[in-house]
Amino acid sequence: MTTRNWTRLRRAVAARGFTPATWIPAASEGRAEEATIRLAHLLEDLPIAGHPVGPPEAWPEAVGFLDGTQRYEVMAYAGASPVVVAEIAAAVLERRDRHLHVAQVLRRRLVIARPEVLEQLEDAIVGHEAVALPEGGPVHPVLDFQLARREVDSARGRLEVETGNRFRAASDAWLIVDGSLAESPQWALDGRMLGVSKSHATLPFSGTQLEEYLRLPAGSRSPVFQPAGREVAPVYSWALRLWPWEGKDLMHGLIRVEAAATVETLAQADQVSRWLLAERAPVSTPDPRWDRLLYGIRAVEEFLRASGER
Amino acid sequence: MNQPVAIGRVVATEMKPSTPHQFHFWTARESPVGIGAIVRVDAPGRTVIGIVTDGFAYSDLLTPIHDVIGADGDPALAGSAPTERAEIRLYTAAVLRQIPEEPLQPVPLGAVHMADDADVVSGLRMDAFMSGEKTTGIPAGVYAAGGLESPIYLDADFLLGPEAAHLNITGVSGLATKTSAVEFLLSSIFQTFPAHKGSVAAICFNVKGPDLCFLDQSADLGDEDRRLYARLGLHAEPFADVRYYAPYKGDGVNLNTLRTNEALASNTVPLVWGLREVLDYAEVLLNKDDVDAKAGGFIDFLKERVIGRPFQDATLSDEPLEVKSFADLEDFFRRIFEFMEVQSKTSEVWRNHHLATIRKVRNRLGNISVRAKGLVTDDGQASDLPWGKVADRSVHVVDVAGLEPVVQDLVFARIVSKLREHLERRDLGVDHVVVFVDELNKYAPTDGPETYVRRMLLDLSERGRYLGLVLFSAQQFRSQVLRRVVGNAGTALFGRMDMDEISSPGYATLSPATKAKLAALPKGELMVRHPHFTQPIFVRFPKPPVLRGRDGMERFPAAVDLAFDDAVARQLVQLDRGIRPNQVKDLIADRTEEDVRRALAAVRQKRPEDVLAFFRKALGGRVAPDAPRERRAVPPLNPISDEPY
Repeated sequence: MTTRNWTRLRRAVAARGFTPATWIPAASEGRAEEATIRLAHLLEDLPIAGHPVGPPEAWPEAVGFLDGTQRYEVMAYAGASPVVVAEIAAAVLERRDRHLHVAQVLRRRLVIARPEVLEQLEDAIVGHEAVALPEGGPVHPVLDFQLARREVDSARGRLEVETGNRFRAASDAWLIVDGSLAESPQWALDGRMLGVSKSHATLPFSGTQLEEYLRLPAGSRSPVFQPAGREVAPVYSWALRLWPWEGKDLMHGLIRVEAAATVETLAQADQVSRWLLAERAPVSTPDPRWDRLLYGIRAVEEFLRASGER
Repeated sequence: MNQPVAIGRVVATEMKPSTPHQFHFWTARESPVGIGAIVRVDAPGRTVIGIVTDGFAYSDLLTPIHDVIGADGDPALAGSAPTERAEIRLYTAAVLRQIPEEPLQPVPLGAVHMADDADVVSGLRMDAFMSGEKTTGIPAGVYAAGGLESPIYLDADFLLGPEAAHLNITGVSGLATKTSAVEFLLSSIFQTFPAHKGSVAAICFNVKGPDLCFLDQSADLGDEDRRLYARLGLHAEPFADVRYYAPYKGDGVNLNTLRTNEALASNTVPLVWGLREVLDYAEVLLNKDDVDAKAGGFIDFLKERVIGRPFQDATLSDEPLEVKSFADLEDFFRRIFEFMEVQSKTSEVWRNHHLATIRKVRNRLGNISVRAKGLVTDDGQASDLPWGKVADRSVHVVDVAGLEPVVQDLVFARIVSKLREHLERRDLGVDHVVVFVDELNKYAPTDGPETYVRRMLLDLSERGRYLGLVLFSAQQFRSQVLRRVVGNAGTALFGRMDMDEISSPGYATLSPATKAKLAALPKGELMVRHPHFTQPIFVRFPKPPVLRGRDGMERFPAAVDLAFDDAVARQLVQLDRGIRPNQVKDLIADRTEEDVRRALAAVRQKRPEDVLAFFRKALGGRVAPDAPRERRAVPPLNPISDEPY
């Protein structure tokens, strides 16, 4: 019998002699990022302080929005080592005639634990993918949990790539990915894919340039630059301010766009920016990230959350 | 077999939970669901059929200000966002039926489908009376939604008794919905009333204009109406056996109705009553000031001892007196007064009744034939409904539209009372009679004096079903009708309603959406409440198979009033086509109109073989007036002088 419900799973695990537990870590639905500066290489001779892109323009054709979600929690302890259960999901909603439709959706359920624990749980976690933590070190519940979380992040990234690839195999429409295109070298080469990053943990400039970069006015973009450290999947990137930030936060309304590292990207950066400016409406409230969260991406998250199961 | 496609899904939250009587479901934005639609919920071990009573739509927009922000404050841009917001169509449905019915539980989460024919039958519990050997279904219209068109039946046991009975219809005036619905329903009853329940007839009171004046004439029906008739298994035919009754106008020869076109004269007969017919209902015309205890006692004396039987009293006449008409009654009173004045000057009492009381009763009763002129005749020759010989599936329309309200009351009171008497004795001719009364708020108002008619309607609504006497009533404002009268109507129909009326407390159980639908209901659609239906449902019915009053007046315009001699001639010619009008005119020349009316009434009542001969005989011979006698001058006994002055 497939164990679908986490509560039932927890009971099944407890029946095998493990200590049931319930601990949902803060921000279990998001990925952790490390704040850093990686200096980028400018590709356009434009002021970093901003270049107006022109009035918003509606996307002229069908466009897909790709995002993924993850949820995980500690389900039990085998001695002092945690048994983590996770659900990861990714979907593409394609917009046609102003309406969003589900184009692709994939889900996985994971149980992450030390290998010897997984062996004992084998028949209790049918329907879940068993992910083993690295062997060798002594049991450390905090470290084990951090490792488990990395496994979840990684699995989610792979699922998003798989979902995006499936969409691309079926459609040549524009595809906007929540986050970076660096997840896949294939994406980084796709001339009709865009990564839209809300996070600015990794910044491309420092000093005065960074100041100018972060103080972009609304409706303006930075010059196109090539982010550092993307040797496997090089992309071009630029920042775009969707909403005025004055009186709010420095990052308010600021997104970073990634596109294929091609001449065409340089040529159409303004055009793409105008299309993205039009995506400000509808506003993605009540999400607190509404100033940077495209409505289509939010719709994917809402869909995955609403259709997921514990 | 293809699985039916789900059109929605039940949702239940803490704020909007499912209950045993209500549930909520969402649908795609484009779906056939609307207010009044019947839906089915399928869940393991349980099927629920419900009717949509309310609908909601909202998007994921948290506050309107976010829409303003998204559109940069420009309403023109608000509709041009590249993505339409996610939007929900959420409906609330009231449970019609759960299967199994026990244990009664909250509606489960499950797929929602549009109801099919079988679901409609089951949900409205029509299977209780539409299956088995003795079905009692009366087609009332079709329920239409989502491409489905299911016939809706009313249970004859609950429409015409004995389980429940009576029908009341409410709707704004001017749309002809109320009259049309009753005409259609009567046609449906006449065609489908089950044989095992016996016979049925209808008596309709035409209270305004030409509304019910053409029930025997075919309507011009369109293809859609004919298709609806076919769907309901009915024939679109006018009533085959219709008879019209109308009092005379003040001239006593022209009928007081709009149905005077000569082409329609064959089944239009006068309604004329004499003393015997109206005395029992004198209370309708006389108020409490008119009839005190003493006067009432004397009227009772007249009813029991005098009228309609030989009355022997040597003080009045050597021969037994026979009082059959108002004229006889006047003669009776005259003899009393002569006796009191001439022979009994010492007393003012006759047979324990004071002279003043007798004078008062004489004045009041004598006034009836004046107030109800045209309906009540002095001469005692009545023309009435066929009491005891009412035929199965016959319609009798009594046209009181042109009468004074108080005279309408008299007509109504007497006819319903006679129906009741005959049904109690089981000698009316039929087992069930539908009495249709429009403008019920006039006859049984919530506020107003306690009248004879009001009491009678109340009695009819509370006890009529045991007799087979069924009230079909209509009014514009149900809230203004005596609550016990409309409350006793087992079946209630609602056409388009006035918003003021819908906002009255009687409609508090309806959802705002249902009220909104009622306020804009198109012609030909009704909301139906019936004992088998746990919730009101909306049905569509075809145009009635009979000519509408307005169309009838165009096709059969009312004849202009005829001169007295022409009117008399026409009435006799109708009885005998061989009579030439000039023969009649010669006969009645120089005769008083009173004599002619009396002779005409006698002919109508007798219906002789030789109409003209009987009329001539009833008129009697011409009596030449006596020449005035010569009066001789009487000379004074003692002339004083020759002075002529």
